[in-house]
Amino acid sequence: MILLFIIISVVLSVLTFFIKHKIVNIISTVLFSVNLISLSFYAYLHIDKQDSIYYKFDALGVIMTFVITIISIAAFYHSYIYLKRKANSESQKASYYAFLFMFITAMLSAYFTENFAVLWVSIEATSLFVSLLIFHSRTKDAIEATWKYLFVSSVGLAIAFIGILFLSIIATDSGVNNLNISNLLLVSHNMDIVWLRIAFILILTGFSVKISLFPLYTVAIDAKTIVASPINALMSTALVNVGFVGIYRIFTIIANTESLHWAQHIFMIVGIISIFITAIQLTRVKRFKRLLAFSSMEHMGLVFIGIAVGGIGYYAAILHIIFHSFIKAGLFFQLGSIRSFYKSIWIKDTGMYFKLNPIGALVLIIGLVSILAIPPSGMFVSEFMIFKAMFINGNYWEAIITLILLSFIIYIIAKQTFHLLFSDIENSMLNNKALANRYEPLSQFVLFSLVIYLGINPPVFFTDLINASIAILN
Amino acid sequence: MTYLFIILYAITLIYFALSERVKKFVWLLSIQGALLFGVVFFSLHKIQMFDFIFILVETILVKSIIVPWFLNRIRKHNHLKREHEPTVPVFYSIIVVVISLILSFLLSNQLNNNNIHTQYFTVAFASILFGIYFIIIHKNIFSHVVGYLIIENGIFLLSLAVGSEMPMMVNLAILLDVLMGVLVLGVFINRIGDTFNSIEIDQLSKLKD
Repeated sequence: MILLFIIISVVLSVLTFFIKHKIVNIISTVLFSVNLISLSFYAYLHIDKQDSIYYKFDALGVIMTFVITIISIAAFYHSYIYLKRKANSESQKASYYAFLFMFITAMLSAYFTENFAVLWVSIEATSLFVSLLIFHSRTKDAIEATWKYLFVSSVGLAIAFIGILFLSIIATDSGVNNLNISNLLLVSHNMDIVWLRIAFILILTGFSVKISLFPLYTVAIDAKTIVASPINALMSTALVNVGFVGIYRIFTIIANTESLHWAQHIFMIVGIISIFITAIQLTRVKRFKRLLAFSSMEHMGLVFIGIAVGGIGYYAAILHIIFHSFIKAGLFFQLGSIRSFYKSIWIKDTGMYFKLNPIGALVLIIGLVSILAIPPSGMFVSEFMIFKAMFINGNYWEAIITLILLSFIIYIIAKQTFHLLFSDIENSMLNNKALANRYEPLSQFVLFSLVIYLGINPPVFFTDLINASIAILN
Repeated sequence: MTYLFIILYAITLIYFALSERVKKFVWLLSIQGALLFGVVFFSLHKIQMFDFIFILVETILVKSIIVPWFLNRIRKHNHLKREHEPTVPVFYSIIVVVISLILSFLLSNQLNNNNIHTQYFTVAFASILFGIYFIIIHKNIFSHVVGYLIIENGIFLLSLAVGSEMPMMVNLAILLDVLMGVLVLGVFINRIGDTFNSIEIDQLSKLKD
């Protein structure tokens, strides 16, 4: 099935790329969405089954696929509006859609793969296609961002490849001659612990490019400063989840050995350092896209802390990553329409958004409340659970430091957003030709209310899926 | 016989530290490719005939012909001759190579493993360390790609350790080279050269707050 999905996506992408016609773009987008939806339901119905040699439908992959499906469909609609606003030529539009299809396909391949080599190839493919999307506007800044992203993520993925090589060296020692995760899990207790630890560190470092966490976070932030908001919505959510899935796979192997606590210490260190860096960097941030990009880094830090603590922290981490995806995507979609009201992208040149676009401003306020994890946001539930797990586990100092850093981050994000909503600006800064699309805030309302609903009253299938995805760790 | 090639490979690393001309970098990469071909020829003969020939042809074609040829074209397109200002004197670079060789030798003795020979690991790891160092000391993006390819060659040597059991990993290591290292990064060097009229990294510093 996945093979079929990939073939259909490639065909659609190639057709869109070469025909360069408005109607073909729309038809292939619709077909791709249908393809995506059918794959996610097929995966849900065939959970824990092997597929297409290298793939397996596991619970974590199914959750991530539901998330990416919902966000992608909204992203297609917002891409349509974005390209219309930018008045791009037909061939630019066609290549945009073609690369977008391939980008989403590569991410799905990374979610479902059962083999480390295929996982690595899929992640390499995501960086290739996303860099083509970063390059879309072809400005000087875009070239700079693309170069940095490509180069640093190539080096990062090369480091991850060394880690996977080490993993394969110890796998052959234990008598396994492929890198299937289920086979590695069977022999993990026999593995040489020093080599496994080195492999873990290298893979964590390499994939931190994708998840935009310490140490290799910088390029992803730079790329998110440039890229179009609909792509940003996918980069800050689905692509970050790809990095998470990659790191989670190696973590499940190391969790089976006596090094579990060691790995959790590493996660705790990475999480707290990332939140610390976010707090420092946010004081200097001058653009909204960077603000949101750093906010993603903060939430991923929290997810890692959740996994580091263990117990209910595992559940909370997966819940947090789902909620973060929905809210961050919604905020980036809103940023797309905010951008059309002003001539400049700097925070200091914006203001009066409440007057200019009341419904958009309402969306922004709900989004702000949600991303800062204030009730009734579902993120409040997951963040509360993470801190509860920390206190139960006796990590008092870590919890207190994180809480102080978080309050600092909340202050800065709220301050900058209120500046956009209420401060006065000169008329010369406004873009008078701005056209607010009446249906544009709809997707954000849906995403935010989904988070509130899932936080307050999670349906049974949803909690079952999360429990199934962390079952291997308990 | 394999050891001869591996030792020659280590010598090319020292040569890299010595040279300042961009043209020489490309030549050295080509020589490294030929040496890796020799290593593959003498160490992987236990695998199936078809896989063996495929990997051999891939190595010699990609690593010692296509990649250097492509890099040479980029070099000519951007009129690169000499590294303008080497930030670190050559003398220090040689010391760094030697230190990285010693470090990786100690490390490989520490991490003794049945599957990976100490000699392989030493040179491969030294190559990775030196590649990272090479990227840090140079200031134009062409040399950065050369540094990336030195890292790649080190990874390729490491991947030979599992080559007998998993030939797929060796193929992947080559793919990494072709796709990212040269085609994509190479095309972008030309883009940057055309847009900014220079490929020094000082140009690329606008994206910050």
